[in-house]
Amino acid sequence: MTLHQHLPSNPRSIKTRFAIRFLQTLKRLNKNRPISSSLREIHGRYRIVKLAADASMASVVGSRRVWSRALLWKIRNRALRCNSMKRKRIHALRVRRRGGGGHPTRESGFGQANDLRKLVPGGEVMDICSLLDETADYIKCLTTQVQVMRNIADLYTS
Amino acid sequence: MAGRDNLEPEKGNVDPLNYHSPNLSADWRFSDANLMNTSVELIPRCNSMADFKGNLVESPSCSFVSMVDSFCTTIWDQSTHSQNLGICEINVPNSASNSNTLGIGTSGMGPLRTGGERTLGMGWTPPNAMLKGGVFLPTASGMLPPSLSQFPADSGFIERAARFSCFSAGDFGDIMNPFSSPQSMNPYSRGMASMQGPQEVFLGNGLKTIYNQHQKKEISMTENSKDVEGKAIKGSPLKDDKKSVSFGGDGVSGNESDEAEFSGGGQEEPSMLEGRGGKPSPKAVGSKKRKRSGQDIEIDQVKRAPQQPTETPKDSPEIQQQGNQSPISVTNKPNGKQGKQRSPASASLKEEYIHVRARKGQATNSHSLAERVRREKISERMKFLQDLVPGCSKVTGKAVMLDEIINYVQSLQQQVEFLSMKLATVNPRLDFNIEGLLAKDVLQSHAGPSTLGFPPDMTMPFPLLHSSQPGLIQAGFSGLGNSSDTLRRTINSQGTAMTGGYKEPTSQVSNVWEDELHNVVQMGFNSHVISAPLNSPDLSGITCKLYHIDF
Repeated sequence: MTLHQHLPSNPRSIKTRFAIRFLQTLKRLNKNRPISSSLREIHGRYRIVKLAADASMASVVGSRRVWSRALLWKIRNRALRCNSMKRKRIHALRVRRRGGGGHPTRESGFGQANDLRKLVPGGEVMDICSLLDETADYIKCLTTQVQVMRNIADLYTS
Repeated sequence: MAGRDNLEPEKGNVDPLNYHSPNLSADWRFSDANLMNTSVELIPRCNSMADFKGNLVESPSCSFVSMVDSFCTTIWDQSTHSQNLGICEINVPNSASNSNTLGIGTSGMGPLRTGGERTLGMGWTPPNAMLKGGVFLPTASGMLPPSLSQFPADSGFIERAARFSCFSAGDFGDIMNPFSSPQSMNPYSRGMASMQGPQEVFLGNGLKTIYNQHQKKEISMTENSKDVEGKAIKGSPLKDDKKSVSFGGDGVSGNESDEAEFSGGGQEEPSMLEGRGGKPSPKAVGSKKRKRSGQDIEIDQVKRAPQQPTETPKDSPEIQQQGNQSPISVTNKPNGKQGKQRSPASASLKEEYIHVRARKGQATNSHSLAERVRREKISERMKFLQDLVPGCSKVTGKAVMLDEIINYVQSLQQQVEFLSMKLATVNPRLDFNIEGLLAKDVLQSHAGPSTLGFPPDMTMPFPLLHSSQPGLIQAGFSGLGNSSDTLRRTINSQGTAMTGGYKEPTSQVSNVWEDELHNVVQMGFNSHVISAPLNSPDLSGITCKLYHIDF
């Protein structure tokens, strides 16, 4: 059986690239992790899988989008913080980043925009226009992520 | 930990060398090669940390550090491939001259990596500060700021170089002007000038076209003018050939397809805008130009002076003429009270295209113009979002629309968390082959339930979700009963969102899941087959299934 006729029509689409990357990550995670069913392990693994999904989605999008960069930045900072215990440096970076954000909340009629800013990664430093742009792209990528993950989960459990 | 401290003082020595070397990308190449070693050395460190603390949460995080590192390398790898490959390719032959820096880089892998990360950090905060200037700005500037220190700090030189490269690229000059908000032009022009400087020095023509083509695609996504779109479309088949010739890189074509996907939506915007009337956009164009000139006059005068002699030998002078003509066509349109004031300024606009000093009298007008332009941009984007978010076609008004958008994003994020939890419980059984999974995955994705299965009344469960979410995450799964309660709550409230068969991950939680499955089925949503728990599936069975379904 050849798989060529069953390859996706657009091998470069976000969906396929995300699927490939996510599956590779899952494979690697499965190799490293022992099989265990204790709940703490499951919780830890859940966090790793979620991070893997977010990171692979953000890396597929790359540096083109503010939210993907912000997401990768957050993940990296978390890894750094976890790794090196140098919280001062991370705090300094965070403070500097927030200080450079300005005050984009003054736009009239967009009180709920602050909630949206919290949801979209990297949304705190953007004005409304780019926030809406980023939200649109973020929604699109989230839907593909959900679709792929759901398919994988269905695959696993079928 | 002590090892880290030893590396810290080395960092100070290495970083100036890194900054002065133009081949920062070559350092990245080395960091790519070294990253595997760093991840290997990190893992034993993590294990020792886990031994010290006995904290279970830390060790999974350390294992994902290696994963994170690979992601981040791939990102920056991709970004170097897609955006800065010109720099990489030209500077790699120069690496012989800077072999000492690379030698130091390889000897101290830790400082190299952290130095690189620092440049990353630096590269990221300026984009955040310069964000208003455009989305495409930070993509290249992420790599470039460290290498700028070797250039003379003469701003005039930089801006002239910027103008040279700008107008050699063609569209960039007139695209830049109409479509950025006024207050953003300052950092934008400076940033772009500083960016274009090193690019001009380093890169040849072909690479500039790639950079501009990348930005053009971004522009066609975010901006909304027929002119821009026409140029982008005209430029893209041309640039695609160039791109494939010069890279053959996976990242770039990937970027293109993604942006083509998104620009499909972006291209709807001009049609929407045109439907509303062609007037607002040229008015916006004219107002943007005037606003920009009000603030950046000195810089633009400097830029404009060398422009005109250098325009003609550039690649696409006709686009420049178009750019010059468009302000004329804009300003000649009658426009209420601004019509009269525009026509005397149109002559000056034709030449300099930016000077607005004569018109600064109407402060309130310019403010209202800017506000109107922003409002239109915002409403365009809200319309686009309305198409994205299901069930929002009937909703009118920004506030309700924003609420819907927020709810939708929240629900998507929670779906991701839910699915990742499912995958975490399900995962460790299988050792799968990616190609088979991918084929099956794609086939399934065509036939699978789409997110349109999302019920329209999703506002109701979300307050519940929002409150139960922290409970779920922070519960820590202390006990089985506790976890089942939280799971039940989550599943009850999320049952409306979850479609698809709920298979049972482990035998321990099987009762909980089955109850919730009944709830889901009774709610009348897509009822898939509720299968028995699979305790130990074998690989052959699953691959047979794959093949069966493939056939």
